[in-house]
Amino acid sequence: MAEWNAFYRNEDEEEQQEEGEQSGGDYYKITGRDSLVFLVDASKEMFIKGEDGQPSNFDMTMQVVRSVYTSKIISSHRDLVALVFYGTEQSKNPRNSFKHVYVYHDLDEPGAKRVQDVEALRGEKGAQLAAETMGSGETSLGDALWCCANLYSDIKLRLSHKRLMIFTCRDEPHGGDSAKDRQARTKASDLKETGVIIDLMHLMKPGGFDVAPFFRDIISPPEDESELGLQLEPSEKLEDLQKRVRAKEQKKRAMARLNLCLGEGINVAVGMYATAVTARKPAPIRLYRETNEPVRSKTRTFHTQTGSLLLPSEIKKSQTYGNKQIVMERDEVDAIKKFEDPGLYLIGFKPMEKLKIHHHIRPAVFLYPEEGEVKGSACLFSALLTKCSEKNVFALCRCIARRNYPPRFVALVPQMEVVDEGKVQITPPGFNAIYLPYADDLRTLDLPQCPSASQIQVDKMKEIVSKLRFKYRSDAFENPVIQQHFRNLEALALDMMAPEETEDLIMPKVEQINQRLGPLAQEFKDLVYPYGYNPESKPAPKRKAADAGGGAEKKPKVEVPEDELRAHVQNGTLGKLTVPVLKEACKQFGVRTTGTKKQELIDALTARLGL
Amino acid sequence: MAGAKSALVLCMDVGFSMSNSAPGEEPPFELAKKVIQKFVQRQVFAETKDELALVLFGTDSTKNQLAQDGQYENITVHRNLTVPDFELLEEIENQIHPESQQADWMDALVVCMDLLQTETKGKKCDRLIIALLTDLNTQASPEHLDVIIENLKQAGITLQFFLPFPVEENEEEGGGDGDRRGPGHSGTGKGLSRQQKDSLDMMKHVMLSLDEEDGLDEIYTFRNAIEQLCMFKRIERRPMAWPCQLTIGSCLSIRIVGYKAVTEERLKKMWITVDAQTNKRDDVKRETVYCLDDDNETEVQGEDTIQGFRYGSDIVPFSKVDQDQMKYKHDGKCFAVLGFTKQNLIQRHQFMGNQVIKMFSGKDDEHAAVALSALIRALDELQMVAIVRYAYDRRSNPQVGAAFPCIKEDYECLIYVQLPFMEDLRQFTFPSLENNKKFTPSDAQLSAVDSLIDSMMLVEEDEDGEQKDMFTVHQIPNPAFQRHFQCLHHRAVSPGTPLPPMEPWLKAALERPDVITERYQAPLEEMKKKFPLTEVEKKKKLKTSAQIFGKDAEEPDAKKKKGDEEEEDYNLADIAEGSVTSVGSVDPARDFRTLIRLKTLPFGEVCQQLTHRIEQLLSNKDTIYYMKSITCIQAFREQSVKLGNADLYNSYLQSLKRSISNRRLEVFWDLLVQDAVTLISKDEVEGSTVSKTEANQFLVAEEKKEEVAAPPAEDMGDVDDLLDMM
Repeated sequence: MAEWNAFYRNEDEEEQQEEGEQSGGDYYKITGRDSLVFLVDASKEMFIKGEDGQPSNFDMTMQVVRSVYTSKIISSHRDLVALVFYGTEQSKNPRNSFKHVYVYHDLDEPGAKRVQDVEALRGEKGAQLAAETMGSGETSLGDALWCCANLYSDIKLRLSHKRLMIFTCRDEPHGGDSAKDRQARTKASDLKETGVIIDLMHLMKPGGFDVAPFFRDIISPPEDESELGLQLEPSEKLEDLQKRVRAKEQKKRAMARLNLCLGEGINVAVGMYATAVTARKPAPIRLYRETNEPVRSKTRTFHTQTGSLLLPSEIKKSQTYGNKQIVMERDEVDAIKKFEDPGLYLIGFKPMEKLKIHHHIRPAVFLYPEEGEVKGSACLFSALLTKCSEKNVFALCRCIARRNYPPRFVALVPQMEVVDEGKVQITPPGFNAIYLPYADDLRTLDLPQCPSASQIQVDKMKEIVSKLRFKYRSDAFENPVIQQHFRNLEALALDMMAPEETEDLIMPKVEQINQRLGPLAQEFKDLVYPYGYNPESKPAPKRKAADAGGGAEKKPKVEVPEDELRAHVQNGTLGKLTVPVLKEACKQFGVRTTGTKKQELIDALTARLGL
Repeated sequence: MAGAKSALVLCMDVGFSMSNSAPGEEPPFELAKKVIQKFVQRQVFAETKDELALVLFGTDSTKNQLAQDGQYENITVHRNLTVPDFELLEEIENQIHPESQQADWMDALVVCMDLLQTETKGKKCDRLIIALLTDLNTQASPEHLDVIIENLKQAGITLQFFLPFPVEENEEEGGGDGDRRGPGHSGTGKGLSRQQKDSLDMMKHVMLSLDEEDGLDEIYTFRNAIEQLCMFKRIERRPMAWPCQLTIGSCLSIRIVGYKAVTEERLKKMWITVDAQTNKRDDVKRETVYCLDDDNETEVQGEDTIQGFRYGSDIVPFSKVDQDQMKYKHDGKCFAVLGFTKQNLIQRHQFMGNQVIKMFSGKDDEHAAVALSALIRALDELQMVAIVRYAYDRRSNPQVGAAFPCIKEDYECLIYVQLPFMEDLRQFTFPSLENNKKFTPSDAQLSAVDSLIDSMMLVEEDEDGEQKDMFTVHQIPNPAFQRHFQCLHHRAVSPGTPLPPMEPWLKAALERPDVITERYQAPLEEMKKKFPLTEVEKKKKLKTSAQIFGKDAEEPDAKKKKGDEEEEDYNLADIAEGSVTSVGSVDPARDFRTLIRLKTLPFGEVCQQLTHRIEQLLSNKDTIYYMKSITCIQAFREQSVKLGNADLYNSYLQSLKRSISNRRLEVFWDLLVQDAVTLISKDEVEGSTVSKTEANQFLVAEEKKEEVAAPPAEDMGDVDDLLDMM
């Protein structure tokens, strides 16, 4: 058990490290942030309730805004969002230079307060609040757009993506005032020139919303098919926006840029990308209990006796083997790990069937050529990809992903591009690099000799399997642990009574399965299990007896006399003792250990009783 | 199972005939010693519980329990049965020499048997082994042969012989089989003395009576043994059983047991930080303190902190207790089928996690075995897999994964691999390679690649139609471990010398097979002609690395640890190596110290060179460079104090401080403050004009400065590119 636990812990630590590397804080400074301005019509028409108690357009819009806010907070909280109303009675904007424009939220990172603000504008009460604070008045979309332009220009940060969404149910906002129409068009084109994409979310209107007369000239033309363009029905776009996403957005970024060396003098530049990385709960921030303010941590290495801080040159690293302490300089420890410079070195090719499914030690990475590093890379890469795929072979490479990483071998498996009917890429072209295990990574198992099933039994199982067929999709399962965490956080941040329900998608749907199987389950059991056999019960009695005997013996506290223990320390034979005995010994000598690993216990004891 | 170990007696002939050798050949004694050394080395680093004894025969002295009345003479029990350690290694290195007597190897064998029997009493040993290393060149008395064989059998002792020459399996055919012996084996059955021939027959008799079939398989040559032993033992871990029930709905369950079959193995031991002077771990303490982000950096206790999580622009306090209460909970251990799907829908590159688990049927339960076998075979015939929910236990997070059927000749099992969650996937899109004319290879180019692949196929069929794989990765020992142990061993036995180069066999094991290298030359040349590759010169890149640092550009480590560990080390060995003439860019602090020590240049000049480097480093605006700068400043300070010249240092630091806000070096300054690099005060150097309080005040006053917007994005871009490059 201890071993498994230790493993899980290791995994955690490592992943966190990796996460840290990839979502480094500097990142946003480099690429800039996304920004989104909601420009919402606050005219009387927006507040009219639909038939059969359908929520008003305004209410629906607020719902959308809230959902975008909460999604953004989790997926990419550094993005900037603003909420601006137009056609209001009251005005509120930075220099108050625009009438009937109400900047409800400035362009900024969304937070709990903002979500609550938007929440307050929802429903009956929300409409009332809106009427009280903003009211409905004249409309000048031109002024509103101008005001938004100012919001953008006031931002000192670099913005990578600027989008403005107009929510309205009026296709002729100015009621035919051509001067105002013209002004709005000018302002819109000004905005578009500065790189802002204007999008229209037209809402339900009796008699239908006609985009053509006015808004056609306001909005940006669709960039390509994948972009939310005009052709979509408004309701569809809204649904899209309302879809809650609780997953951290990851930007495409190479983990490493390496040379794929085919042989002396042939280097192809490739980028290495992680396309599947175990997502974890975001790292916690340490806060001071009294004030809830974040604290900084400082780690220092100092001398126990003199108390003075130790320079790196004043410490060394050591390990003990066979009763001997072996000491190395810190840079020697690094040097040991270094084999050669980072890169991928081609060894040769093997047929695909030589890649075994059980040769898996860590998630694969994806390789794509870097034409920008070595010109001609893409062409050679493409030729290699085509030929490997055609001949059904993979390339075997020695891989050093980073400096001072020891080598690993990877199988480069070709992956041809796949696009769907709409020409949207489903799988990108490139090589998947599958990490291969070394001899040390394979464990020797004692294989039990077991009888095989007869064809009748197999056939019955085949019926069962066929009944429970489904089409697996890798993105179909959400991680219930992370989902629950985000919901909890949301509930705490927004003072909700209880977190939203999490649906555990990886829970077997027992009822449905039972129903589908019907009598098959019993039929199969009749074929393989004897009468009265219960697979849920404890294992065979033979083992039980052995267990009981062994358990009873072990139960009483196991203590080792002190001198014997000291002798073990002297001879370096502590390893002979079992973990419970070592733990007991630790207690006995008041040694505090954080670890449960055997080696940690041994180290702790040796340190205490050491020579 | 626990406590199972073996006891082994190494019994080595050190008699005078062992030193005889043909000219130009290593004497058998040296080879035998190497075998023993390598073997003990492996045992020490593998930290097995196996115990080892060393018996020498042919020694001038006699030391064994059976020696009496002139019997069993010249046999020395050098070390009794214990866990091997470095002491033993050192003894082998320094105390074992060829001696001038000869002893009966049969007698030695009896001493070993006696030793094993008396010393394993009360110990749980599941294997008893005696390894005899000898040239058999002694008179052996065949008197008690049958008694000895009987005793060996009864005690269950395995006997192994290590000889300087190979043994023919069948003497009649001996002559014709000459080439079956590998190359490099000197001496065959011919050149043997009469004694050796007699002994050989006796040995064969013993071995074949112990094991009729494969008795002679336990006879090795020294050379073979050395080759096999040069590898350090691979890491072995006892697989842990994970009993559970595979469930399909609530009505059908099968008892199974899982074993981790493949996982990325790590070294069992970690490096421990010790004090450089005393080499003691207790002298070094690492401590983490927490402080508020206020002017005084008020320290707070770890217990007075709680966890919080970012929620947009807010941080939501979320205590551990609350987290535990609200977190996702589940019923614990499970292996439940969610459904079945086609194998081809599972993408190999979407395997997650770091392990593969093999699921067998529950122990001693043949009904479960039949039920599981039915499932495995059904899946195999339908080319399907089970998608399952897997949870190791109540504390660990549940996973979704696939269970593949695996049918081998001698066993059947399910192979479980974790699959991704939606949150794990990053749906990146990349430009198409097909639609871009520039990147589309021509037919000539494609055929060049074609012949390259053909020439580099690692799997080939031999004459018998059997597949031969020239390069099996899963048979290579992890080179990182091999190198690690090699260096540790070297440091242990020859302290004070630099680390050894990589072992040639290890290097060769990682390289392309020679056959391939030979065969692919022509196609490779063709590739070179067909595919022009030109490295794109990047201005930005040059500016940050090559130009500034010269050709010795040191790339910042991609995986450097945070904080003070990033500083460079002061390494004596390095200094001795090259002659330092100016403060270079690779390790300016070290060069600075060296130059000061050598006194080849005036102090002022060296300081100027150093500050010049510091300025270059600072222009990079990146923590790694900041840390390096701080190392330089620390070296500057340390040397200035040493030489009693504070002025240059103090004035530089003051001017540096003045330029902080202009150059946006606040982050750097914070680091400097954290490291408490102050001015040099009067207390330290007499000539200094700065008082102690002033020196300390120097840092404090500047501590809290309003941050001025974000640093210019351009600069960050450079560093990022640089980091990405690696």
